[in-house]
Amino acid sequence: MDAYCSNNVLQARRAVEQLRLETELQRVKISAAAAQLVQYCQDHRRADPLLTGIAASSNPFRDKKTCVLL
Amino acid sequence: MGEMEQLRKEAESLKDEITAARKAVQDLTLQDHVAGTAVVGRVQLKTRKTLRGHLSKIYAVHWGDSKLCVSASQDGKLIVWDSYTTNKVHAIPLKSSWVMTCAYAPSGNMVACGGLDNMCSIYNLKGKDGNVKVMRELAAHTGYLSCCRFLNDNEIITSSGDCTCVLWDIETGSQKTVFAGHLGDCMSLGVAPDFNTFISGACDFTAKLWDIRDGQCRQTFGGHESDINAIGFFPNGNAVITGSDDASCKLYDLRSDQELITYQDSGIMCGVTSLAPSLSGRLILAGYDDFNCNIWDSLKAERVGVLSGHDNRVSCIGVTPDGMACCTGSWDSFLKIWN
Repeated sequence: MDAYCSNNVLQARRAVEQLRLETELQRVKISAAAAQLVQYCQDHRRADPLLTGIAASSNPFRDKKTCVLL
Repeated sequence: MGEMEQLRKEAESLKDEITAARKAVQDLTLQDHVAGTAVVGRVQLKTRKTLRGHLSKIYAVHWGDSKLCVSASQDGKLIVWDSYTTNKVHAIPLKSSWVMTCAYAPSGNMVACGGLDNMCSIYNLKGKDGNVKVMRELAAHTGYLSCCRFLNDNEIITSSGDCTCVLWDIETGSQKTVFAGHLGDCMSLGVAPDFNTFISGACDFTAKLWDIRDGQCRQTFGGHESDINAIGFFPNGNAVITGSDDASCKLYDLRSDQELITYQDSGIMCGVTSLAPSLSGRLILAGYDDFNCNIWDSLKAERVGVLSGHDNRVSCIGVTPDGMACCTGSWDSFLKIWN
């Protein structure tokens, strides 16, 4: 067997080992997983400025209008 | 040749097992779960600041805190910006102008960049004499540096066109861990909020979740029909969002180990270049090749807004840690701050 062949076999062995590892994962039901995602969005919605909007006075990126006395 | 055939058969059988295990937990779809939830109202963000100064295409931007960000352009410069005032805090000339990524350390003490030079260069922003200098050049990748992210001031993770990701010790300049397994160029990476794992997206159309400390790939997600260019964690760390050349973004849930939702529209036919979730995760902002950025309702998979204003491809996007604004970077050489 030349080096190219044995390289392929090595890669194939590693791929199988990785797949074996991945089959052993404990998977959670989607109903539970989805509920968690939705709950997180709900819990943090008020604190999400891009979602709720930002008052002009508390927006650090808005130029504040100031008067300068010359 | 007998062993190859055997391994091929075993791989197919294991893949079938994984598919079956994923099906077994499909008691509900995300769509079913949110059937009663209203779509988020129209999101209209305005450009609040335009950061001008780069002379060529911008390839990357990364927020350090909620005010300072660093951008990288193929004009051969890294610029650190005060986004509140649009002032340039630092303008760092690079040895190689073919930069593809940049990162700001969480501490604010350093920035990093890299690209076609195959290296990740670390710059100390807080040097004694006030000058910003190269602190370390991390060289070992045999392909371009596509992305880098600091874990802390002494550790950084890089992704490369050589199909691997690497965890580096910055002090010694050595590779602590090599994460091998992708079958195509690694294009992007994201670190989990708890810093225990990271995700990578690659040109083999898959995303992989890696354990930072033991180097193992824990999960692999397929489904995209082309290169994954952008990847990020949903803010609670339990889901991964990807953006691809197949014009779609997908959300993969880590605990049920599968794709829950795809963000696509028949009217969008160009690749996704970048993405970032809003603070609550309810919005996903994604940059596209068609010069726009689309805002998606992450739970209902509907487009709820558009950011238009760039005159060329949106190449990078980032939301501030406090969620107050997002920054888009473009091949038109400008960065825009929106909220």
